[in-house]
Amino acid sequence: MIEYIKVSKSFDSLRVLDDVSCTIPDSKITVFIGPSGVGKSVLMKMIVGLEKPDSGAVRVGGEDIAALDERGLYRLRRKMGMLFQDGALFDSMTAGENVAFPMRRHTRMTEREIGRRVAEKLSLVGMPGCEEKYPAELSGGMRKRVGLARAIALEPEIVLFDEPTSGLDPLMADAIDDLILDMQRKLGCTFVVNSHDIPGTFKIADTIGVLYDARLIACGERREIMRSRDPALVRFFARHRGEQ
Amino acid sequence: MSDIMASGPTGHTIFALALARIGRWGIFSARAARLTVTAPPRAAWVIEEAFRIGVGSLFIVCAISFFIGSTIALQGYYAFREFGGEGLVGIFVTLACVREMGPIVAGSMVAAKAGTAMAASIAAMRVKGQIDALEVMAVNPYRALVAPRLIAALIALPLLVVFADFFTVLAGYLVAVHQLGVNPGTFLENVRSYTGMTDVLYGMVKGAFFAVMICTLSCYQGFYSEPGPEGVGRATNRAVVSVCVVCIILNYILSEIMYG
Repeated sequence: MIEYIKVSKSFDSLRVLDDVSCTIPDSKITVFIGPSGVGKSVLMKMIVGLEKPDSGAVRVGGEDIAALDERGLYRLRRKMGMLFQDGALFDSMTAGENVAFPMRRHTRMTEREIGRRVAEKLSLVGMPGCEEKYPAELSGGMRKRVGLARAIALEPEIVLFDEPTSGLDPLMADAIDDLILDMQRKLGCTFVVNSHDIPGTFKIADTIGVLYDARLIACGERREIMRSRDPALVRFFARHRGEQ
Repeated sequence: MSDIMASGPTGHTIFALALARIGRWGIFSARAARLTVTAPPRAAWVIEEAFRIGVGSLFIVCAISFFIGSTIALQGYYAFREFGGEGLVGIFVTLACVREMGPIVAGSMVAAKAGTAMAASIAAMRVKGQIDALEVMAVNPYRALVAPRLIAALIALPLLVVFADFFTVLAGYLVAVHQLGVNPGTFLENVRSYTGMTDVLYGMVKGAFFAVMICTLSCYQGFYSEPGPEGVGRATNRAVVSVCVVCIILNYILSEIMYG
């Protein structure tokens, strides 16, 4: 379980998160939705300790992330995988080497076992046989798929997706949403997704958190959020449906 | 504070900013050095980097050294000829090249070639989120990116200094003897009499200091790159400028300690 307890964060004079509290349930897909620049990525980076709150706490499995030392943080990070906005694949490595990278670093698997696991993960994300391709040879959607294969290479308990459909055409975005749903069913782990895509969020989320103006204006089950008559939520969805 | 910013940076704010950057670079370097010792990187990464730095810079170091040696011989010859001391050109070439120019040429060429490559590649990784990706995969970026380069530079640069020494003196010999007509025996005797293994070793020590500076400053600039392609360019530019300035100053200090 991931908990945000009264989390606030500012960069210089810009407040990006203000008193955010919520709980992310295990083995479900939780989506944080909100306009760009509202602090979704910062919220996600706090789970892996890339950002620390100015006040409040972020707890993962009961452990306060900000209180962990370097060793403790790395131990916890081994239980997580993250898909970055553009995949963040290493340019000098092939797709196969990218997926193999965490296995080579953290396991004692033989090269044959690693090769088998790489092929398996790439098939799982719909990219079989692309081991020898370099990131520059892949499209945006393909890079995200390979990035996802790398994120799940060590079979983590928590997988984080930072804007998985941004920059993709609607068809590819839909395919990535389907992939996220499918992966969660197969792996059964906790997925946390950042998005600004309202239809995609309603399609994949079990739990939705709505961020607006540095505050979490709502957090609850999908049905609850969809049916909510809260004027702030109604205004938010109306405005952002219009924008999209 | 806003008043200060509105009226432009004052001497004090520039000094404070420079001090803050030096402090951050110091912490960065200490962290990299600690990890290099306590959790050394894999030998394969070090070898790969040493090959990239050493072999990658070898040709340019030798070529530039050759022309620097030639120029020093020419200038030395014309200066000494004024008072009939053409035979002393060997002393001038060997002292200037082995003690000063060899390390400086090797250092500046590695800074220009390998240093900029380090800054640019690490800055590009920062901009593309790859350093964050390393962190999230529980891989310490200092250990993965800085430590192998630091060890590799410490191996490669002192060896490049030896190559630079050899090619500067060789070029000096060829120009002095074959172009300017200096007696070859006199030239070689001067080289033998006025340079010893200590000078070569001191040059290698200078190379090791330059290696630390080139590597930590270049990696630091890449690590703290500003976002976007412009940030990569700026990081690369800052790396080469800061490395050149620091190495020239450091060379003076080391020469004073070694030969003063």
